Amino acid sequence: MTEPRAVRARSGHGTCNTTGFRPPFSASYNPFCFHAATATPSSVTVTDEPDVLIQRLSLLVKGHSRAVLDSYEFFATTAAKELGVAVSNVSEPKKDVARLTLLKSVHIFKKHRVQYEMRTYYRRIQLSRLTGSTAQAYLEYVQRNLPEGVAMEVQKTTMEKVPDHILEPMRDDLGAGR
Amino acid sequence: MASHTSKAFPILGRINQAGFGLQTSVSRATYATGVFIKTTKADEGFQGRKFTAAKKFRRDPGVYRTEKMPLDQDWTAVYPTAAPFNPNAVPLPVRMGYPVKGGAPPDRKGNLELIKIPNFLHLTPAAIKKHCEALKPFCTEWPSALDTDAKCDQFFPVKVESTDYVAAGPSVRNPAARRVHLSVNVSSLNLDDHARKKMLKLVGERYCKETNVLTITTDSCPLRQQNKDYALYLLTVLYHESWKTEAWEAEKTRADMEEYSWEGSQSQRTLLHLLGLREGEGKEVQEQLLERSEVQAYKDSVTRLKNEGDGESAILQYKDAVKSVLGL
Repeated sequence: MTEPRAVRARSGHGTCNTTGFRPPFSASYNPFCFHAATATPSSVTVTDEPDVLIQRLSLLVKGHSRAVLDSYEFFATTAAKELGVAVSNVSEPKKDVARLTLLKSVHIFKKHRVQYEMRTYYRRIQLSRLTGSTAQAYLEYVQRNLPEGVAMEVQKTTMEKVPDHILEPMRDDLGAGR
Repeated sequence: MASHTSKAFPILGRINQAGFGLQTSVSRATYATGVFIKTTKADEGFQGRKFTAAKKFRRDPGVYRTEKMPLDQDWTAVYPTAAPFNPNAVPLPVRMGYPVKGGAPPDRKGNLELIKIPNFLHLTPAAIKKHCEALKPFCTEWPSALDTDAKCDQFFPVKVESTDYVAAGPSVRNPAARRVHLSVNVSSLNLDDHARKKMLKLVGERYCKETNVLTITTDSCPLRQQNKDYALYLLTVLYHESWKTEAWEAEKTRADMEEYSWEGSQSQRTLLHLLGLREGEGKEVQEQLLERSEVQAYKDSVTRLKNEGDGESAILQYKDAVKSVLGL
């Protein structure tokens, strides 16, 4: 079987602007639309450099609010589906709660305390079998749209062939060593 | 009766000055633009001055833009990017906050709670579709031949894993991002028996027996690329070193062996002694004894017990072998 290869797609300008999306200029004043109506499409160059193959991409999103993570999960999974990336698993790891108990009063009153807690909710989105170019485009899109107060960890597992220099042992090393 | 002079602008409201104490209501003209109203001195009392001063630059709030929005509008134009919640622009009847006693949570007009939380109004399914259409030229197809994990492992057995961290803070860098884990299935490397045993001895804890996977973790270099190169270098060195046979490897004792072998063990000596082999007798007699099938069965059962551990079938096999050897 010939080894499968994928060619890499790269942006000519090095940045990934949202091309093709031109908001129609409505008659009413829109305070949020800052960029011009005309957007020049950036050129995509296809090189012969072999693409990196990623077996698994695991996104762990952390936030203080479960509702925000729910919405983000919907966004990330929809984006993956649109780009043709397989979503293998979406899970919700157990939340972490950091609690601390402090004295309520500035002076004395040891029996009266106040308790605070900080909750971190998690969401794990696992994508499987995507190329390096697709991963780059998807990750940039998904990370640029991370809401405020949400952090992300991306665990990337790339697969490679056994390097050429360890396919065969060196001839002079067979037998007695130094 | 209060009289007033006013310019010919549309009158948009009437103000009742009941609190002031006058029995009659005084009508004042309110304007859409902050135009200076000329009033006579008779109109201004203590309250009147304050009232007209306050009314001078006040504009009518006007109609919310949501009333004028058509139903089939392009929502991606209203919220093209991430923006705070604007009650003027979002036609949804959302309510948020602690409810008024016996009532509902406050509505969207002037609601700070709705502005505080992050919203996804710019990421509706229609917007996501548009964005993905624009991103598609930058994506490449996955090779269709590698559709299962087994095939991926067969052709690409070396896995390199690393983690990226995205968080808001004083710095975007995270020192933990330099860590690299390199995993390889040992059976995919070209190793003979001696090389395999030597490699497993060299790596020690990094090898997992259940999955047959060797994992090398590197984080001694400051950059991820450097750590990855170092891990590959370590793998190369391990491979070549395990193929070499050093002079001191001849001193390997029974205690260093990874597996139990019956030849030359105490169990063999005991069995031969039981079968009547005396000290002086030659090798041919010994080999004759060893070739017997019961002895071979006994050897297999003991080797199995020692290597694989106790199990019901292993112990039964040992029992049968012992019975056959002793002729019971």
